[in-house]
Amino acid sequence: MAGTTVAEQGGRGRRRSLDLTINVVPAIDLLSCCITFLLVTAVWTQIARLQVSQYGSGPQSGGQRSAVTITLRLSPTGHVLQLSTGQDITVPATGKPGDVRPDYAALAARLAELKQRFPDQSAITVAAEDTVPYAELVHTIDACVGAGLASVAVTGGAG
Amino acid sequence: MPIVQPGKRPARRFARSQVFGGKAVARRRGVNADLNVVPMVDIMTMLVIFLLQQFSATGEVLYLQKDIKLPDAHHGQPIEIAPVIAISGEHLVLSGRKVADLAELEKDPFLPIPALEERLRDERKRWEFVHQRDPARDRAWRGEVNLQADVRVPFRVVKRVMYSAAQAGYPNVNFATLEAGSQALAAK
Repeated sequence: MAGTTVAEQGGRGRRRSLDLTINVVPAIDLLSCCITFLLVTAVWTQIARLQVSQYGSGPQSGGQRSAVTITLRLSPTGHVLQLSTGQDITVPATGKPGDVRPDYAALAARLAELKQRFPDQSAITVAAEDTVPYAELVHTIDACVGAGLASVAVTGGAG
Repeated sequence: MPIVQPGKRPARRFARSQVFGGKAVARRRGVNADLNVVPMVDIMTMLVIFLLQQFSATGEVLYLQKDIKLPDAHHGQPIEIAPVIAISGEHLVLSGRKVADLAELEKDPFLPIPALEERLRDERKRWEFVHQRDPARDRAWRGEVNLQADVRVPFRVVKRVMYSAAQAGYPNVNFATLEAGSQALAAK
C-alpha cells in the first residue's frame, strides 16, 4: 500500500506498535493535479515590454516641463545626445568598417552621467534614422530606461 | 483462481507432516507489498515548487512566432493585454489577422497605413462598446498596443506603424522584448 511509517514514541504503559501508517495517496493525487495544471498553464518564455510614446502625444507634451530637453539621435554610425542647452555628446559605434556595432555600454555611462546632472529629468526623445533596425532601437531604449530616463518618446527624422 | 508458482504439489495430508521436514509445503507469503513512495512524493513536491515559480497569472499575452525574432532587454516591465501588432520580415499582422505585406508597404511612399488604422479603430470601437456602461471609461482607456517586430525590421516600418496607431487613438506603444535571462531558453 502507498503509505509511510513514522516511528512512534511509546509510553511506559502498555506496549504499543511503533509503526504508524500515513496514507499519502490523497497527497499524491493533489500533487499530480497541481503538476498537470501548472504544466498546461506554464509560460516558458518571459516576454517583457518597453513602453514608449509617439513624440508629441505622450506626457512630454503635457504641462510638466523639465529644465532640459534631451534628444538621443540614433544612426548606424552611433549615438548623439543633444541637450537643449546646446551641448552635444557623441557616442560613436565600435568595430571595423562593415561590422559596426553601437556601443551601448558607453551610451549607458553617458546617460547615467546626464541623470546625475539632471536628477529630476525622466524624459528623453529618441530620434532614429529610417534604416536603423528594430533591435538597435530597442537596445537604445533599454539603455535609456536603465539610466532612469523612463519616459521615452520615439520619433523619426534623425539628422 | 489465484496464480501460483509451479512446483511440487504434495497431498493435503502431507501438508503438516514432518516426514519431509516440513519443507514439502511452501509457507504462505503475505499478498501485501510495501511500496516506498516517499521519493516520488519528494520529486513531485519539487516539481510543483519549480512550476509555481514559473507560473504567470497573465498567461501568454504574446505568442512567439517562428518568423519573428525578438530582441532582448534588461529593463522591461511585465507585458499587459492590448492589441498585438506583429511585424515579421514579410507581413504586418494585427491580432492574428494579416493587414499588409511589407513589400507593398515599402513601395507606398505615404506615412500612414490606412488598413491598419481602420482595424485599430475597429478595435477601439469594440473596447468602447464593452466599456460603455463603465463610468470611469475615459480614465481606463490607456491607448496601448503591443508591437512585436523582428530584430531586422527597419525603423521606417516601425515609424509608420506607430504613426498609424497614434492616428487611431493608440499613442502608447509597448515594444515587445525578451527578458535578457530567458533569451537563451527561447533560442533552444
